[in-house]
Amino acid sequence: MNVAISFLKKPLVIALLLIVALLYLGESLSPGFASADQILRLLIVASLLGIVAAGQNVVILGGREGIDLSVGGVVSLSAIIAGNVMNGADGGILPAILACLAAGAFFGLLNGLGVTLLRIPPLVMTLGMLGVLQGLLVVIRNGIPSGRAAPGLSAFVTQPLVLGIPGIIWLWIAIGLFMAFMLNRTVFGHRIYAIGSNEHAAYMAGVPVRRMRIGLFMISGMFAAIAGLCLLGYSGSSFANVGEQYMLSSIIAVVFGGTSLAGGKGGYTGTMAGALLLVILQGILTTVNIDESGRQMVFGATLLLLMLFYGRGRAMRA
Amino acid sequence: MSKLKMNGVSKAYGATLALRRGDLEIAAGEVHVLMGSNGSGKSTLCKIIAGSVRPDGGEILIDGRTATITGPQSARAQGIGIFYQELSLAGHRSVEENICLAMLPVRAGMFIDRAALKARAARYIDLFAGVSGDGFAAETLVGNLRADQRQLVEIMKALASEAPILIFDEPTSALDRAQVDRFFDILRGLKSDGRGIIFISHRMDEITAIGDRVTIIRDGETIKTLNLNETDPGAVIRLMVGGAGDMPASRSSAPAVASFSTGAAMTVDKLSGAGFRNVSFEVAKGEILGLGGLHGQGQSAVLRAIFGAGAITSGGIRIGGDHFDAKSPRDAIRRGCAYVSGDRGRDGVIAGRPIIENVTPIHYLRDRLMIAHPSSLREKAMPALAAMHTKFASLLHPINSLSGGNQQKVIIARWLIDRPDVLLLDDPTKGIDLSAKADLFALIRQLAADGLGILLYSSEDAELLGNANRILVFNGGSVTRELIGEDRTRYNLYQAAYEAA
Repeated sequence: MNVAISFLKKPLVIALLLIVALLYLGESLSPGFASADQILRLLIVASLLGIVAAGQNVVILGGREGIDLSVGGVVSLSAIIAGNVMNGADGGILPAILACLAAGAFFGLLNGLGVTLLRIPPLVMTLGMLGVLQGLLVVIRNGIPSGRAAPGLSAFVTQPLVLGIPGIIWLWIAIGLFMAFMLNRTVFGHRIYAIGSNEHAAYMAGVPVRRMRIGLFMISGMFAAIAGLCLLGYSGSSFANVGEQYMLSSIIAVVFGGTSLAGGKGGYTGTMAGALLLVILQGILTTVNIDESGRQMVFGATLLLLMLFYGRGRAMRA
Repeated sequence: MSKLKMNGVSKAYGATLALRRGDLEIAAGEVHVLMGSNGSGKSTLCKIIAGSVRPDGGEILIDGRTATITGPQSARAQGIGIFYQELSLAGHRSVEENICLAMLPVRAGMFIDRAALKARAARYIDLFAGVSGDGFAAETLVGNLRADQRQLVEIMKALASEAPILIFDEPTSALDRAQVDRFFDILRGLKSDGRGIIFISHRMDEITAIGDRVTIIRDGETIKTLNLNETDPGAVIRLMVGGAGDMPASRSSAPAVASFSTGAAMTVDKLSGAGFRNVSFEVAKGEILGLGGLHGQGQSAVLRAIFGAGAITSGGIRIGGDHFDAKSPRDAIRRGCAYVSGDRGRDGVIAGRPIIENVTPIHYLRDRLMIAHPSSLREKAMPALAAMHTKFASLLHPINSLSGGNQQKVIIARWLIDRPDVLLLDDPTKGIDLSAKADLFALIRQLAADGLGILLYSSEDAELLGNANRILVFNGGSVTRELIGEDRTRYNLYQAAYEAA
């Protein structure tokens, strides 16, 4: 009995149960909501969010109030860079991937340097970076055309690839396996948890804390860049601030999945469930005709509610 | 009549008796000195009087009447002022505001009366005119002051309470000669006003200069009160040490290795830095070199600086024959240096993570591992944990599920997978149980026998006397005495610790 209760209390299990419940609710509100096609579409959208949330996840796990508010800006920038580099030609996909990863890594590096060397709190540093990126987007969009996705990229994101499942979902699964391996089976992963739960002890045990933290922000930037590229494939052409929504929703997905905002506790499997849950919730809100502003309010309230349930504890410590 | 009288006051924290029996009488117009070693109960006694600790038993009389002190406010209301060893100043406020913080002069019920505040603060600032140093003014922010100046502000703040009973818990630790002389002049003035003053210091010369009577505390009990002009420092120290203080360290605690022909493990030459200066010593392979003295005299600072976690301004270190100047703990670990802190919550334990991840970080670094392979790590971790007799159910349980002693064993075990050349122990047994201590010292002696050079700082003298081949006594940041062989007695250790720096 106790085993059953503690099993049910696991955030991951709660999230999975909620996913089933929400699908059922969606189906009863609008028949066809939980059809195979529709679920596949939800999974594609969830993959995009899940990839951004992977980077958000490692930054938050690293502790010291780690958070990356600039992911939305990087997603938008990456979509524009990718659109202009490939400009509708399949031959441009590889250069576009490299250019996006480089841009993501660069802005992640700036975040990391600001947080470690200048000791700017991550919240302020990445929020400032978001402002810089938004300004940069305006400048770029006034100068050059936004470009189009290559057909190969669009197919990868929207068309079935293997077993009737689109490439991006396979990519998400691969990222899930990669994250699980990195966090549990590599020295780097163990060190993420170490600096997240006791930075000073980690430092005294020889963990290169600064370099680690810079690396985490770079990873976050690169994941956001990959998501931006895929988002271009999903929508065909990039438009202003396509990535805006990912700031709040990536944080919610991470917290939903049981990762503590105080760092050092959690993992990516839960985050994947959290991303899926959030996308289904978004679908239901759309089904019942709640507009974008209403959805944002629901998302914000969800995050606060989640904090009430299991995000607090250590985050509130003095 | 006595200003303050305590009869049989006691205080326990869980199973530990911090104060077994406190009897104390402070007369009007006297400076009453409290003496005792680290952890003997002096601070607990003071905190009870100041109201920040509630006693379990006994009675307190103020001016002959039974008093109940419910908290710091109540103590102040009943005429008790205290100087706190850990300064209690607001760094972002000015000197004058800090001095008047406890009782801000108020006008019309809500506005601070600036003029009155200035006038009142000036009285106490003027007391130290000429010795308070450069940059000291009523308007200076306390956060911009030097350590000695901050200590002066704390003294002024205590004086401003104008309390009939004043407690000074190590008020002179950062002051220079001129400042101490001025402070003592002020204390003499207070004495002639008929105030009762409790004074704690670890400098014997200060105690004989200002004190009238001394009460000695040992193991949580007030042993004896003496008139200082009828006694000598040796007698006071003998009382603090207790019965067998003159006996040399017992035969059973013979050094782990009798002679070291194997050469130096570490040489430290004229090392200076934050909290210590001009420290030189050599520790041989197989030797346990003890660092003794009162708490906070530079022992931890030296160890942390060697390990790359504290600043070094001059001097040199060599490990084996190589020049050693670690810029960070990471650097130090790579070059064969290990450090175990007594503050395991801050420096050691990776809370919430499995035991295995708390054993392996040093191994990761020394072996430049990338992949954490569970079964091979398990093979490395098990013998290390077994060498410490660590009790645990599973390597995957979080370290928090263990007792304090077992947590510390896990922290020490992390240094046993890849053996270092030099082991720095910074009060490693703080807050752990007796059997864990015994296991720890058995292991330390074994490591010495295996040829490691070991530096051991301990706040418990018995641990130093029982395990160290030599003891360097620290006082005010430098080594003032070296105790070898038959000289390693409690008496000598205390005497060196309490000598004027």
